[in-house]
Amino acid sequence: MTSDYNFAFLDENTKRMLRRALLKAVAIPGYQVPFGSREMPLPYGWGTGGIQLTAALLGPDDVLKVIDQGADDTTNAVNIRRFFARVTGVATTERTSEASVIQTRHRIPETPLREDQILVFQVPEPEPLRTLEPREAETRTLHALADYGLMHVKLYEDIAQYGHIATSYDYPVLVDGRFLTSPSPIPKFDNPKLDRSPALMLFGAGREKRLYAIPPYTHVESLAFDDHPFEIQRWEQQCQLCGSGDSYLDEVVTDDRGSRLFVCSDTDYCGQRRAEPAA
Amino acid sequence: MMLAAFAHPVFDSQRNFRELLQAMARPAAPRAMPVVAPAPAPILPATMAALLTLCDADTTLWLQQPNDEVATHLRFHTGVRLTQSAMEADFALITEPATMPSLTLFAHGELRYPDRSATLIVQVDGFTDNAGTRFSGPGIRDVEQLMIEGLPATFWQQRTAMHAQLPLGVDLIFIAGDRMVALPRTTRVLED
Repeated sequence: MTSDYNFAFLDENTKRMLRRALLKAVAIPGYQVPFGSREMPLPYGWGTGGIQLTAALLGPDDVLKVIDQGADDTTNAVNIRRFFARVTGVATTERTSEASVIQTRHRIPETPLREDQILVFQVPEPEPLRTLEPREAETRTLHALADYGLMHVKLYEDIAQYGHIATSYDYPVLVDGRFLTSPSPIPKFDNPKLDRSPALMLFGAGREKRLYAIPPYTHVESLAFDDHPFEIQRWEQQCQLCGSGDSYLDEVVTDDRGSRLFVCSDTDYCGQRRAEPAA
Repeated sequence: MMLAAFAHPVFDSQRNFRELLQAMARPAAPRAMPVVAPAPAPILPATMAALLTLCDADTTLWLQQPNDEVATHLRFHTGVRLTQSAMEADFALITEPATMPSLTLFAHGELRYPDRSATLIVQVDGFTDNAGTRFSGPGIRDVEQLMIEGLPATFWQQRTAMHAQLPLGVDLIFIAGDRMVALPRTTRVLED
């Protein structure tokens, strides 16, 4: 740890502000709490919201895991993990089961989370209605009135145009039957993991200066219609490295002749499965 | 002579916050406050730990039983602004729950900003697991049952009336000895 910084980079006033906002976020599941987002040594869009939440959470005994699209070894994940190793000295890990705090960009790990773990999401746009209604004052009123007809119309138009709901990531959810919430741009494959999760889930949007939470064991419903129920992605392929048939797969182009490889997006899950002796 | 605050302000408040966060995320389940702090009467050490963790010059605090020593101590260690108006308070400290004012006297937030609401820290006589009131809601897997001792007879009526105002409401943190229990506004009180 470099002693030129306060522990976890942020000053104590900022951490207290974040902590108060986090408590309100947990008390009002799915509601976006405004907070005084600080400038971080990383540009907006690289997880400044998630980093500020993680900084307010971390203590010396924590073990931190950072993933980007499921992978521990991509630029964003490596840099954020290194940042916290430098400004807090906490232990880091790539193993989901060993981590106490997991910061994630756009995936939920395949390995089931536990009650003693906290998942921190990096959120680019916290407002699920923003593409439908650009005015903040108006979306705030819509949330106040729980008026989510706009989103239902959008999903309906998908069905009218494509025959199915075409939204495949950032798929809107209703938290505890009240607030329409963005799950961050996770694939809808991960939406079922939000429902009644044993782990606390926190969401931070640095540029938009909003944070929100889904407490453990909270009902999280992905919007759908009776005759068009919510469905997750499925693949005909299995992971070509570990053989998993039930994880989220990335399609990787391997040459100029159209060859493709399907592999798990969760590198830790895939690596663990490959390390296991073949059963 | 003035009492001290946390021995290690950065790490002590971090540990307390993590437990407060888990308490708020898992309502009606008592947890221990990891690091307590010296406190002038009638404030309990665990209550002082919560105030030191959450309050600063950006927050207002309403005291049910204000006294000079408490005011001086809190102003020196946190810089918190003390207010006489319950409705303006971000935090309210109830040290004698039997005579506590109605929950309706505290800020419940606005429909556009339900987070602009008070957090009440209530010192109670004790907690008894698996007895008394049954709770469900976000953060509770099935049902939690907990007896919170020392609350006035009308408290649960007030709490039920408040629950009908969701997402408006106040959030409660009960403290007894070194243990704490949170009751966010979303927690439902089950009728027997």
